[in-house]
Amino acid sequence: MVNKYLFLAYAFTWLIFILYVWNLSRRQARLRKELEDLKRKISEPFSASTSRESKP
Amino acid sequence: MKKKFPISVHLALTLAALFVALYMIFLYAPEEMTMGEVQRIFYIHVPAAWTALLGFIIIFVSSIVYLWKRSQFADELASSTAEVGFIFCTSVLVTGPLWAKPAWGIWWTWDARLTLTFLLWLLYVAYLMLRNYLINPARAANLCAVVGVIGFVDVIIDYMAIRWWRTQHPQPVIGGGPNSGLDPRMLATLLVSWVAFVFLFFLLLRVRLGLAQMRRELGDIRHILAFRASED
Repeated sequence: MVNKYLFLAYAFTWLIFILYVWNLSRRQARLRKELEDLKRKISEPFSASTSRESKP
Repeated sequence: MKKKFPISVHLALTLAALFVALYMIFLYAPEEMTMGEVQRIFYIHVPAAWTALLGFIIIFVSSIVYLWKRSQFADELASSTAEVGFIFCTSVLVTGPLWAKPAWGIWWTWDARLTLTFLLWLLYVAYLMLRNYLINPARAANLCAVVGVIGFVDVIIDYMAIRWWRTQHPQPVIGGGPNSGLDPRMLATLLVSWVAFVFLFFLLLRVRLGLAQMRRELGDIRHILAFRASED
């Protein structure tokens, strides 16, 4: 039988790290999505204006 | 940096080190005579504490670099380290009382080492609150750098507390004078566990730094969009 204090110490430690990794991955996914959206937004008018300029 | 040491290799090394550390903690290290198996909390409590102190040393150095050179990377490194260091310091404050209760019969006492470690945790909290709640980013970076420099005093006193004063907390087992020392197998387990924690610390720090850089990139793009909108 594992000592309950020993079990709790290891369980809480790993829980803290797992929750932090989960939080990091959520923030990373959100930022990545936001970055993709903005990059798309920034490239759209640019490509539209260059296509207008290239017309004779 | 990325080419020399890819994050996938870093992750694999961290997992391997953690696996070896867990094997040594539960199967290799001998059981301590007076406390029994609850003493195995030592192998996560002490490495987490050392790593939390290491975190604040990094904050201290990068805060000085930021104040001196105004380096954006130094500021990002300090703020990312504060977040990761806070996680390790929290782990110390969770595992400490869980070891203290069976060993001393109490969850907590306000002795020098425990109080200074709690103060270190509060410094991490103060740093993160300043970073997140101040609207002006330049002001937040300046104030955080000041906290990072002043807070380092706590790191020194915290480290020396069990050497300077007789406390409820045990005296140092490494570098604590002629009467200190550990069974060689316990010492090896402690060091392997610390190496695993350091690998984990730097892995989390790399990911957190990546987030900070991504946020900076977002800010730059928003500036470009705002500039275009103002031109239109």
